[in-house]
Amino acid sequence: MTVNSLEIAETRSGTACVLALAGRIDSSNAEQFSVRVEQLFQAGEKDLVVDFKEVLYLTSAAFRVLLLATDEAERNTARFVLCGIMGQVRDLFEMGGLLDAFTVHVSREEALAQPG
Amino acid sequence: MSNPPRARAVGTMELVIGNDTAQIARVSEAMDRLAVEHGIAPTPLVQLQVALDEMVSNVIKYAWPQGGSHTLQVRIEVALGQVRIDISDDGRPFDPRDAPAPQTPLPGKRPRPGGLGVHMVRQFMDRFEYARIDTVNRLTMIKRCDTDNTEP
Repeated sequence: MTVNSLEIAETRSGTACVLALAGRIDSSNAEQFSVRVEQLFQAGEKDLVVDFKEVLYLTSAAFRVLLLATDEAERNTARFVLCGIMGQVRDLFEMGGLLDAFTVHVSREEALAQPG
Repeated sequence: MSNPPRARAVGTMELVIGNDTAQIARVSEAMDRLAVEHGIAPTPLVQLQVALDEMVSNVIKYAWPQGGSHTLQVRIEVALGQVRIDISDDGRPFDPRDAPAPQTPLPGKRPRPGGLGVHMVRQFMDRFEYARIDTVNRLTMIKRCDTDNTEP
């Protein structure tokens, strides 16, 4: 295992599916994240929460996946929300002017307490 | 086409990687190692990692539109108070600084992907320069940040 790997842990909480990401999300592994999200939407997922609490950083490759997933969720009338965006990860969202582009909750608990 | 003068290096890593985004992992590992050896703090390290990923992936995506296997060189040099990154490839002439800026979304619309990588590099790096030298694209980025100036 290298420090580069992106880990994606999937859990269910009530009607929601939570993807907890850990590590870095860059152009070497954004595809892995994209494929997972696509599979979930194709399987009919209607409530997807992505938790960034353990993410070190993300690059534009990851923002691209998030923007396209948000479009896909809209087409599927599914909920696609982000949480756990703090510190440097938050700075990167802000730098890209992207915090407002997504539905963002402070914590996973809050994301799960406010179903769409 | 200025070529920034070199500061005296205290640590250098040079990598040759294939035009395959999976190989960018080797570049980020090298950057992490240099950061540990030279006391680069987490915030500048993240910014360096983002800039490396944006520009190396850019070369992989755009330098060789005809496809095929190619290599590019990445050199990361830590000197007193700065980190310098040089990325060289023999693909088509391509100045990433010409990339369009991210479009401001219409009111009520989400931003579209595109242009974000170069935007972040401009924000994070103190110098961001490109030169075509014979048949080689050479991209140079310099970030000023605190470094240990001791040899490892």
